[in-house]
Amino acid sequence: MRKKDPHGTLRPAVYDSVAFEFQTALEMQQAFEGRRPAHSYSRISNPTVEEFEDRVRILADAAGVLAVSSGMAAIANVILAIAEAGTNVVTSRFLFGNTYSLLEQTLKPWGLQVSYVDMTNPGNLEAVINEKTRAVFVESITNPQLQVADMRLVTRIAQARGVPVIVDGTVTTPFLFKTKEFGVAVEVLSSTKSISGGATSVGGVVIDNGVFDWQKNPKVRPWAEKCGPLGLLFFLRREIYRNLGACLSPQNAYLHTLGLETLDLRLRKSCANALRIAQALEQSPGIKQVQYPGLESSPYHAIARSQFLSGYGSLLGFSLESREACFALMNNCKVVRRATNIHDNKTLILHPASTIFCEYSPAEKAAMEVEENLLRLSVGIEDPDDILEDIAAAI
Amino acid sequence: MGGGTRPQFALTQMMNIRVNGDGRTIDRPLISVADLLVLDHVEQPDMVSVQLNGRFLDKSAYPTTHIRENDEIDFLYFLGGGSDR
Repeated sequence: MRKKDPHGTLRPAVYDSVAFEFQTALEMQQAFEGRRPAHSYSRISNPTVEEFEDRVRILADAAGVLAVSSGMAAIANVILAIAEAGTNVVTSRFLFGNTYSLLEQTLKPWGLQVSYVDMTNPGNLEAVINEKTRAVFVESITNPQLQVADMRLVTRIAQARGVPVIVDGTVTTPFLFKTKEFGVAVEVLSSTKSISGGATSVGGVVIDNGVFDWQKNPKVRPWAEKCGPLGLLFFLRREIYRNLGACLSPQNAYLHTLGLETLDLRLRKSCANALRIAQALEQSPGIKQVQYPGLESSPYHAIARSQFLSGYGSLLGFSLESREACFALMNNCKVVRRATNIHDNKTLILHPASTIFCEYSPAEKAAMEVEENLLRLSVGIEDPDDILEDIAAAI
Repeated sequence: MGGGTRPQFALTQMMNIRVNGDGRTIDRPLISVADLLVLDHVEQPDMVSVQLNGRFLDKSAYPTTHIRENDEIDFLYFLGGGSDR
């Protein structure tokens, strides 16, 4: 722990307190002004959450980290901080369903414009960025299409236009993908997944890598002038995040801090399992197609190999004959669990078209390549033979 | 010390500055911003924003930026939630 515990404990204490007392009125004033390193109210900051933020910062080698209540809260906070009515965000046509909903259904009515491009085609990206673009948003590995964009190319294009790149690194985490080294300005991710210890509790983080000059963003500029590279994080902490109230609970922060201690072990195991399962499914006569960046047959294998450390994530997709065949397989599983989420310690299966993307039209789903015969598998840390036997029997 | 004037050498070592609005007297002739962060027991200096006389100071300049008489230094911590607007 960075701050010494008064009792010498090996684990951070859970400060499940709403408010914090001050010795004098002056100290209280200084804390509210940010001129005293003291916590005042747990919606704004909390000692247990601070410990978790600091550890993620070290893991990511970032300039600063803000912990929030969920991955979606992380995305929403950042978009609301850097964009406004009349500006636009350029993003991939392949997005997690709720992220697409946030942009398309929640923020567009407020005046945010959104452009969707094929991130694997740099010409598309260059053509769409304009003077009102506030960010390029892309997932490190898209969910559930498993597409991997050339991140150096994406950041180079965006940086040339003075636009920050925001990466949703949920599927990779800073353990597998060092976004700072690729020029990514901000990484947002759901710590609910791997970081929590294997889906123990909900949370999210905003990671500022300190590589973008926030004076280029009109909304963040006043904060960047006062606080330099930490301008965005100060803006979030002292206004956007504070006002939205999407704070991480101290209990969850504690669990996520514990989860960080075994992140390495669990991710190595689940990534190894995922590769083994993807290779086996690729050979299975009952499977039409398997999508996994770790497969040499994946069109994104080379890019993924150049960008990711120690593995290609534990999310894979595979297609059967029909939606009915998908449902039958899911219903026959006994080891693999029918549940939504990814990076649980248990292997989970999901039919994306009828669940995460259920509110979209067939045309929208087709555009996002969320087909009716696609299944998504989030591979856990069980014995891979057990998972393979279960799927083989279910087919 | 007893009454009477202070020795000349002691006067030249004293320096008046303001830190976060509070007046301070520093009894060292040459102190950098980095030294001040240590003196003030700032635990995580990389999560503190420093302003010197109203202007943001990049952390790479902390060791080489020396504080002078009447300088105003403001530490803005990443904690805290008030707004100065």
